[in-house]
Amino acid sequence: MDLEANRALIAGAIARIPGGDSTALQTVYRLTSAKLFGVALRILGDRGEAEDVLQEVYLTIWRRAADFNATRASPMTWLIAIARNRAIDRLRAGKTSRNMDPIDAASDIADAAPRADVALESSQDRARLHGCLDTLADHERKALHGAFFDGNTYEELAARMKTPLGTMKSWIRRAMIKLKTCLES
Amino acid sequence: MSDISDHSALPDDELLAAEFVLGVLEGADRTAAQRLYQHDLTFAAMVADWERRLMPWAAEIDEAAPSASVWNAIAAQLPGESAPRPSIWQSLAFWRIFALASTFAAACLAVVIYLGTVNQQGPLIAAIESGGTRSFVATVDVKRGTVAIVPASFSADATRVPELWIIPDDGKPRPVGLLRADATVTLALTPELAEFARNRATLAVSLEPPGGSPTGAPTGPVIGAGKLTSL
Repeated sequence: MDLEANRALIAGAIARIPGGDSTALQTVYRLTSAKLFGVALRILGDRGEAEDVLQEVYLTIWRRAADFNATRASPMTWLIAIARNRAIDRLRAGKTSRNMDPIDAASDIADAAPRADVALESSQDRARLHGCLDTLADHERKALHGAFFDGNTYEELAARMKTPLGTMKSWIRRAMIKLKTCLES
Repeated sequence: MSDISDHSALPDDELLAAEFVLGVLEGADRTAAQRLYQHDLTFAAMVADWERRLMPWAAEIDEAAPSASVWNAIAAQLPGESAPRPSIWQSLAFWRIFALASTFAAACLAVVIYLGTVNQQGPLIAAIESGGTRSFVATVDVKRGTVAIVPASFSADATRVPELWIIPDDGKPRPVGLLRADATVTLALTPELAEFARNRATLAVSLEPPGGSPTGAPTGPVIGAGKLTSL
């Protein structure tokens, strides 16, 4: 499906939710649940937990649909942010992140290439972000990757990369500053 | 956050927004960021900006199909939805009997509260209900300026909390406080709210995120309402 049409369909359905239209929520679910479930599953690593979170995510969407502003944010950005946030809440309520495998800052394993089959995000935004991620130092990009995809905390990242906590905080903060500067240039 | 002064290219709160969106915070830091997000519009806008910058990265994450039962569970929690496969917990008859029994219990409690708070200015009472289901009973002690709310047939929801609103003649809901599904809650009324109560305002309960409505107005579904009347 055409990206703009899909985006308009999702945004239109979100806009009907505050009136109490449950079929609108069902439409949003039909169009986006596979992606949001993928996001929750990636962070939690357990289908049962991810399904619980998915329920919470759509009830949050139901409740907060009026907050969504289609002129300021893409619907998928808003939805994925809710899914990540809920999954991380669930993760923090447990003990540690699922993925605690060591990350070798020096190894030369490239990030996965941007996928072409996901029609839900703008490929332009994606290419821009990847261009800017490429300007970061390897250790910075790997730390951000662990945080974003595995839901790691500062402490967990420090352990995975065998780095003092203070250093890890500096890496991430410096990386976020660079990223913002690059994305806004 | 003293150790971030060396990265003065971004203000502290913007770094906090970045860390919050990335997800690296935990414990008190994460809670503090969540609270700011709910109550500080400037911070919420920074969070939205960071979401816009970072979320395209999620394109790398593979889609996965959840079980069909997930949508059914969601639909069962929406107001006015009938559950697709009724079990005893989803049976209307069961809940009607339960509602009657708990309404009776609530009425008894309301009487107890009434007897306990009786004074010259009699109490005002409101049954908060919708579609014949009474979720809470509220009793206003006019003299003390308090409202006691007894749960009737209201079942807790892990993701949302019930919040009490008072709606005077202007039709604009004012927040009173958060309620509990399992215990009577007594809330103090400000002089303004007590005045609304004396003028027989309407009380309503909505479901809100933990901590209450972030906007000061109801954001979730209203589960019931009732006008205050004298006992």
